[in-house]
Formats: sequence, structure tokens, C-alpha cells
Amino acid sequence: MSDESTGVAGPGRAEAPAAPDPIPAEARAANLKLWNAWSRIHEHAPGYNTAGFLSGETSLKPVELEELGPFVHEGTTLLHLQCHFGLDTLSWARLGADVVGLDLSDVAVALARRLAGEAGLSARAEFICSDLYDADAHLGDRLFDVVFVNWGAIEWLPDLERWAAIVARHLRPGGTFYMAEIHPFARSLDDAAPEGVLRIAYRYFPAPDEPDIDAVEGSYADPGADTEGLVAYGWSHSFAEILGSLTGGGLRIDHLHEFPYAPAPFWDWMVEDADRLWWLLDEEGGYRRDLPFSCSIRATKPVT
Amino acid sequence: MLDDYLKANLASWDEVTSVHVASELYDVDGFKAGRNSLSSIEQAELGPLVGEGTSLLHLQCHFGLDTLSWARQGAIATGMDFSGEAIAQARSLAEELGLSQRATFLQSDLYHLPDVLEDEFDVVFTSWGALIWLADLERWAQIIARYLKPGGIFYIAEFHPNAFLLADDSTPESLRIGYPYFQYGVPQRFDESADYADPDARTQNTVTFEWNHGLGEIIDPLLRNGLRLDFLHEFPYTIAGLPFPFLEVGEDGLQRVKGRDDEVALSFSLKMTKEG
Repeated sequence: MSDESTGVAGPGRAEAPAAPDPIPAEARAANLKLWNAWSRIHEHAPGYNTAGFLSGETSLKPVELEELGPFVHEGTTLLHLQCHFGLDTLSWARLGADVVGLDLSDVAVALARRLAGEAGLSARAEFICSDLYDADAHLGDRLFDVVFVNWGAIEWLPDLERWAAIVARHLRPGGTFYMAEIHPFARSLDDAAPEGVLRIAYRYFPAPDEPDIDAVEGSYADPGADTEGLVAYGWSHSFAEILGSLTGGGLRIDHLHEFPYAPAPFWDWMVEDADRLWWLLDEEGGYRRDLPFSCSIRATKPVT
Repeated sequence: MLDDYLKANLASWDEVTSVHVASELYDVDGFKAGRNSLSSIEQAELGPLVGEGTSLLHLQCHFGLDTLSWARQGAIATGMDFSGEAIAQARSLAEELGLSQRATFLQSDLYHLPDVLEDEFDVVFTSWGALIWLADLERWAQIIARYLKPGGIFYIAEFHPNAFLLADDSTPESLRIGYPYFQYGVPQRFDESADYADPDARTQNTVTFEWNHGLGEIIDPLLRNGLRLDFLHEFPYTIAGLPFPFLEVGEDGLQRVKGRDDEVALSFSLKMTKEG
């Protein structure tokens, strides 16, 4: 007998139908095509330094090692959402973590598996090809000590509530969520502005039904790459939306940090430092530290 | 140096207090007649948590209209401000409105409040144009944690740091970056004779020193001092009070960027709870 008044599903009752995919079909197809193309380009792109990784260098930025490193030990289980071709996932594995990377691009996942083998990390690294919103179908009820997200991930997602629910569902109680990302404000700046001009071009606030649809010119990791005909569908996100999604998913916010450097160049007039971070220059040629280009958030899933 | 900044800012606030009391923006006559001075944001978000007997500390209360609005709603309110002129006006208003039993006012620099106030409160409240007068939000957060009861609520409604970045000569079509987001404790010096509440007023103490603070710089020290984040909200509008030519005040009394009324963050609110 069903109980319509509470809506509680009884034993044997069919599960509720899955919520509709928040990514429109044309956006999903375009972004998959783009990420497959970028994955082929990025294996040898200057912005990724795959050869350096294979020779033993970490691909992680200093801020990630500093802020998440203390939570990653021998045997720590770590889920990397939207892992691209896995260099950062594998860098955590090299530090002792048992890692699962998940990405929408089959080309990226195949490359990640191959690199895991070449780096001798296959035993502690698993890669899953899946759209973010389909993660539960692949992960089941698996729980992780750490869920990790970084650099240019959430802009491909229209719905952060569902994203945060996936994060929370796969964190063990007491587990750590960590994200290092492009700063939401920086993402609103005009990326086509002439040199030295800083002005707002894009909305700061989220608009799930109004993706930014842009013709792709090259790649953030290889500006000169041929990306003729490729299109990107992206979504803006505010701090309020990001933090609200995480707290709404039941996580407790531990920190919000903001940084004056970017993980990749916003403009060709940014310069790269020895740590592969990108900066605006001031009039004397020093690094400008007055504007935010990246941020990090750490949160904990409460034990009770 | 900090003392010099404080002295300049104090001279400015002491001088503009009487301008503000007489200004249309603050509308003291309307307030006396019963108008609630709190914005729709604060009323909606903090209002339900303030009732008869709620103890409330209002940091940087200026001449106390908002403090008194909370008192009218039943709170036992304490307002503090560094301006002696503002505190004198606040006390006089409380007396005139018969709210002296529910609203007390203290003159103190924020960082020295523990020298003059002991108590703990159900709510610590601050709002609109308070943070730019503070160099050090680590010590600010320690003060807030100090004055909250376990389980007590901190609430702020403020201008957004993104709004303070915009260049003076920006237009709605070209919102350019003219000011810093991060200041690392180093103030911006301003010298403006026009007042935000009365552009026609001409004052003598025109030099002020101000600090923009990023959202991380605001939230992080509160987290470190044992407060849990309940929510951060951001709004593409703000209360009237930012004297920027690319903003316009709508019929609802809120300011927006002309023609881009849902794109740019102009204010935020934050609610946090002291653990325990």
C-alpha cells in the first residue's frame, strides 16, 4: 500500500525517476566534443607539462599542496571530480592517495589511464568516464576521505545544488571537500579587452538557463591550438551560490581563501611565474596583488 | 599611523553626523514618526530572529537609527560607535522616543570595546559602510566572537567588495576596475568634500582613510574564531548610499547599475552562528 500522504517509497516500490539532466543536450554534446579535442591537444600543451609529470614533478599548484596536502596521507581515498586527463589526480596518488578520477571526456579518461600506467600508479588510480551529474550511477554508495575539485571545473555545470549533493553523498562523515578554482569575480572580467583594460563583461550572478556560448579560440593551456568550429557552453557562479550549495548539501565551511594570481592566463598580457601561476603586472613590472583571480574553499562533512 | 588614520576618520564622522541627522537620506523625522530604518534585506533575514527581549549589540552604529529600530522591535539593544557626536545624537533620539530603557549607546573605538563593555549578546549586528573603516578584520572577528553567547548569531548586511572596485568614471556600459580588492592593511586615501547623504553639504574634515575587504578576508576570520557559516547572500542591488554615477535608485529605494540590474554584486549579507 502506498502512502501518498508522506511520499515515502515503500519496499519494492519503483524508485522515483531521475531528475532531468540539468545540461541541455546541445551543450552536453558541444562540451564533450570540446573536451575530447582539448584532451588531445593538452597531452602535449605547454600549460600541462605532461613530460615533467612523468619525470616526477607534481602538477598540483603550491596552494593545493599547502592547503589539502595535510589531509592526504598514505591510503587516503580521494575522489577527483572533473579530473580532465588526470595529472592532478595522479599527483595525489603519487603522494599516497588511492584515487578515483571522473571526467566526461572518453579521450581524457583513456589518456589518464595510459599515464597512470606509464607513471606506475595504476594500482592506486581508477578513472571513470562520466558526466558529473551521472556520477552516482558509477560511484554507487562509495565514500571517500577527500572530494577534490580544481581549476575551471564548476563553470561547466549549470546546477551547483546537484553538484554539491554528489560531493556530500560521496564524502565519509568527517571527510574533507576541497576546491581550488577561478575566482567568480575574475570570471566576470572582459577576456577580450585590450591590454591593460580591466572591465566587467559577464554577469557575476548565476543564470542556469542562460549559458555563455562562446566560439573557442585555442586553449587556456595552448593559445595557438587549432580549435576551429568548437563551441563552449559555460555557466557563471557566485560565491553565495557556491557556498550555499555546499552548506545546503550539509557541509560545514572551513575556509574561503582568495588569491591574486590565476591558474591559467586570462589575457596574453598576464605573465607566468616559476610556480606556473599567472599574474598581472603593475607599472614597475612587479606582480599586481590587488585583484582576485583564484580562490579555494575547504569544507567538512559533519560526523553527526 | 593607524592612530592618524583613526583621527582623520573620526574628525570626518564627528563633522558629518549633524549633516546626516538633517539629511533626507536618513529622514529622522520619518523615523520619529515610526519609519523602520532597517533595509528590506535586514528586516527579512534578521528580523524573524529578533523579538521581545533579544539582546543585540550593534557595532559601528553611527547615530543609532538602526539600533533603535531593533529596540522598537523588542530588542534590548546596545549601540557602539567611535564618534562622540554620533553617540550623543543617538542617546538624545532614544530619550525623545522613550527607548532609553531598551537602547544604550557607548562611545568606543571598535578594537577597544572590551575596555568599556562586558556582557554577551544573542545577536551581534553590523551594517552598511562599516567595514571600510576597519584596517584589521582578524581583530574585528575576535571582538564579535567575544560578544556572542554560545549559539548566538552574527549578522551583517554590507556593500559588496566588488562594488568598491569600480572606477569613478565607469559607465553602465563600461564598468572598469579602479580600486583594489585586496589592500593588505594599507588604506586608500580619499579627499572628498561631498557627503554621501547630502551631496550639497560642504565639510572641513574631508580626508578619510578606507579599506576594502574581500569576502574571504571577511568570512575567514569569523570561521577561525568559532563561528559557523549559515549563509552568504549576494544582491545585485544595494541600499541608497553609494555615490556612484553609474548607479540609479529605483522606486523601491534600492540602487542598481543602470540597465544591468541583475549582473553586478553590489551588496551582501552574512549570517553565522557561534558554535556551542
